[in-house]
Amino acid sequence: MTLRRVFAPLVLGAMAATAALTAHADDPAQGDPEAGRYIAQTCLGCHGIPGYTNVYPTYHVPKLGGQHEEYLIIALEAYREGRRESPVMKAQAASLSDREIRDIAAFFSNIEPRR
Amino acid sequence: MTRSITAIASTLFVLAAASAHAGDPVAGQEKAQACIACHGETGVGQATEFPILAGQHQSYLYHVMREYRDGERVDPVMNAQMGGYSDQDLRDLAAFYARQDGGVYDTPVRRGAQIVD
Repeated sequence: MTLRRVFAPLVLGAMAATAALTAHADDPAQGDPEAGRYIAQTCLGCHGIPGYTNVYPTYHVPKLGGQHEEYLIIALEAYREGRRESPVMKAQAASLSDREIRDIAAFFSNIEPRR
Repeated sequence: MTRSITAIASTLFVLAAASAHAGDPVAGQEKAQACIACHGETGVGQATEFPILAGQHQSYLYHVMREYRDGERVDPVMNAQMGGYSDQDLRDLAAFYARQDGGVYDTPVRRGAQIVD
């Protein structure tokens, strides 16, 4: 057996394995909107009721559909870390992991408007 | 006669004051020139780290802009941007962006929504 015969399949196999392991679906840096759909059920308690307002000060809960994904991540992280003052949002975001924040952002950013 | 005139005049005065208080989207568009660089001409910007403002709730936009202006919400860029605006300016800006198309939208829960398929 020549070296080439041994190494070629090993190299090809390693490349294939690497490709499989780094496949986009498993990429932790990219939010998964399907996973986000489940986690975001809590969010929809306020953000899923059109016209819902806070008690005081009285203003509408913001629409999230179609918002920039990156901005949603920035906002959730800011609430989680207390850089934005909102008792409700801080409580909501406090228990979210980085992965969950990305998934929630991907969900709201990609959801189609209801007809 | 005097009573009728007084009644009409005060009604007109209140209506005029109320509409100005509510926010003028035409004035808002003029005041939004400085916002275009990050948020786009109609509140839909290219940069994804800045929020889409188009179609957002007017009261929410006003509330957040006030927080930026008054320093209650901390962001160096936004704090600086909102610094010189009056309450009326903010109402006008909010009124403008809230009416723009192509922006954010509601995500209503369906009645009896199934979470698990």
